[in-house]
Amino acid sequence: MSEKIFAAAAEAIEQGDADRAAQIAEQGLSQGINGMELLTKGFVAGINKVGDLFGEGRLFLPELMMSATAMQKVTDIINATFPAGKREARGRVLLGTVEGDLHDIGKTIVAALFKANGFEVKDLGRDVPAKRFIEEAEAFGAHIIGSSALLTTTMVVQKELEQELKKAGLKDKYKTMVGGAPVTQRWAGRIGADAYAEDAGEGVRKAMEMIKK
Amino acid sequence: MKDKILIRMGDGERVTLSADEIKEDIRAGTQDAARRGRIPEMTAPEQEQLFEIMADPSRVVGVSPGEEVIVTDDGCSMSFYSGQDGGGVGVPMSRMQAILTYERACGADTTSMGHSDYSYKPVKPIINYEMNEYYNISMMTTAPFFYGAQPNLGLYYRPDGPCPNPAELLPAGKIKEARAAQEEACEHLKKDLVFVGKKLAGVGCEGLNFDTCGSAGDADFLAALLALRELRQEVPQMPIIMGSSGEFVIGMHGEVTFDGRRLAGMYPHEQVKVVEAAGACIYGMAVNTNTSESTAWNLARAVTFCKAAVEAADIPVHVNVGMGVGGVPMMEQPPVDSVSRVSKSLVQIGKADGL
Repeated sequence: MSEKIFAAAAEAIEQGDADRAAQIAEQGLSQGINGMELLTKGFVAGINKVGDLFGEGRLFLPELMMSATAMQKVTDIINATFPAGKREARGRVLLGTVEGDLHDIGKTIVAALFKANGFEVKDLGRDVPAKRFIEEAEAFGAHIIGSSALLTTTMVVQKELEQELKKAGLKDKYKTMVGGAPVTQRWAGRIGADAYAEDAGEGVRKAMEMIKK
Repeated sequence: MKDKILIRMGDGERVTLSADEIKEDIRAGTQDAARRGRIPEMTAPEQEQLFEIMADPSRVVGVSPGEEVIVTDDGCSMSFYSGQDGGGVGVPMSRMQAILTYERACGADTTSMGHSDYSYKPVKPIINYEMNEYYNISMMTTAPFFYGAQPNLGLYYRPDGPCPNPAELLPAGKIKEARAAQEEACEHLKKDLVFVGKKLAGVGCEGLNFDTCGSAGDADFLAALLALRELRQEVPQMPIIMGSSGEFVIGMHGEVTFDGRRLAGMYPHEQVKVVEAAGACIYGMAVNTNTSESTAWNLARAVTFCKAAVEAADIPVHVNVGMGVGGVPMMEQPPVDSVSRVSKSLVQIGKADGL
């Protein structure tokens, strides 16, 4: 029975059908299926498939956004069933495209997937100076600071962010994650970032691992 | 053969890999392209040929005499006078001096000029200046002389343009509005492309380059196709190149069509058919370089996509071998060891008509 619900949950997300997804979430919970299991085996499986299809050019941005909206809706429903102490989002993630860089489509997708996976997200948009990342992280109470750079000429701002965090004595307070077309794991290691994510799906997976630690 | 072979990663970092590791990367790269594009993988002999090119101990490699292809210029002369931030070397020279130096000192097959913003929209208000400049320089050049720029649909969205911004509408769930905004912007862009194209044709433009089409999504790609078709009717004597921005057309809209075919998600072997139908003389294909994978992996993908596009095409296919595409590492100054291997492989194995 659970398997059928999981499959239906994944399918509703793939189709971006928020109402159907919400109905399945309610149905699954009323049948006594564990909320976290329903989320991970059903809905998250669906959003992961959506992410893969998007990466291959088989599913497009409007559909991705519809799926992310549906995912957010069911996350809210399932989250509300957890005891108050455990209800908090998986973590707070601050995102932005670095100063001098106006590319924010990819970062917007990352924000959508983070939200869909139960994170509380603050998206600073594009052209964000290193110092503003830190100010906003402090105000937001972020756990993770994610910065995106699409240009070889702007990725240096990610290094500047690491330096500014160290200068402010805040490097250990936040986990940092970097992404963007020219960015690599080696770059992350070289500048001292805690994680590198190749795409939105990997960003979510690595954020979950970092939050657990 | 040495145990360890010096190659690069997609971000340009030098690494040494064993022969088996390189062969595995080639296998994985071609499989990735075949799976994504639903096209055939490279054959075993082709994979072996690519390995030989990668493993060649020479720093620079090249094709055999008689296999040389045409190189269509993609703003090379700008590299003389633009600064480091534009990938240039900052030599103080005029546009005319740079173009003639490129043609005469570098032995270019074709030359080109473009506005420093490299988008069509900012050319519109200074078109008379550009026409004059183009005309004067074309009186001095011998090789085919193109005018190039990118459609760049993003310039038509707020705050840079008149249309609502889909990047704001989509996250708000306003999908219908986001699609309408893209359709409206597409119409503005098409008009500008036709306007600039016709004006340049009026001063004897030897070729127009719609470069990096689709960078702002499928509606961007559509505007270029529609403008191309209209210009083909209006100024049939002017050749037009249409190049793409990535291995598949990004579906920002997701539903726009050309001749009844949905553009979003089209891979090079599909893109070339609509580009051809719109009336282009050359299709410029692009394959994204993954910075976390080796050049062997990236080049295997590029060759696989190239082969499929060339087989499908009835017009010449010129592969983009600039920074971060076609297997070339993502570096401001792409290293000659990689660029020459990319060029040789795409021509000899991918059967590219030009670069």
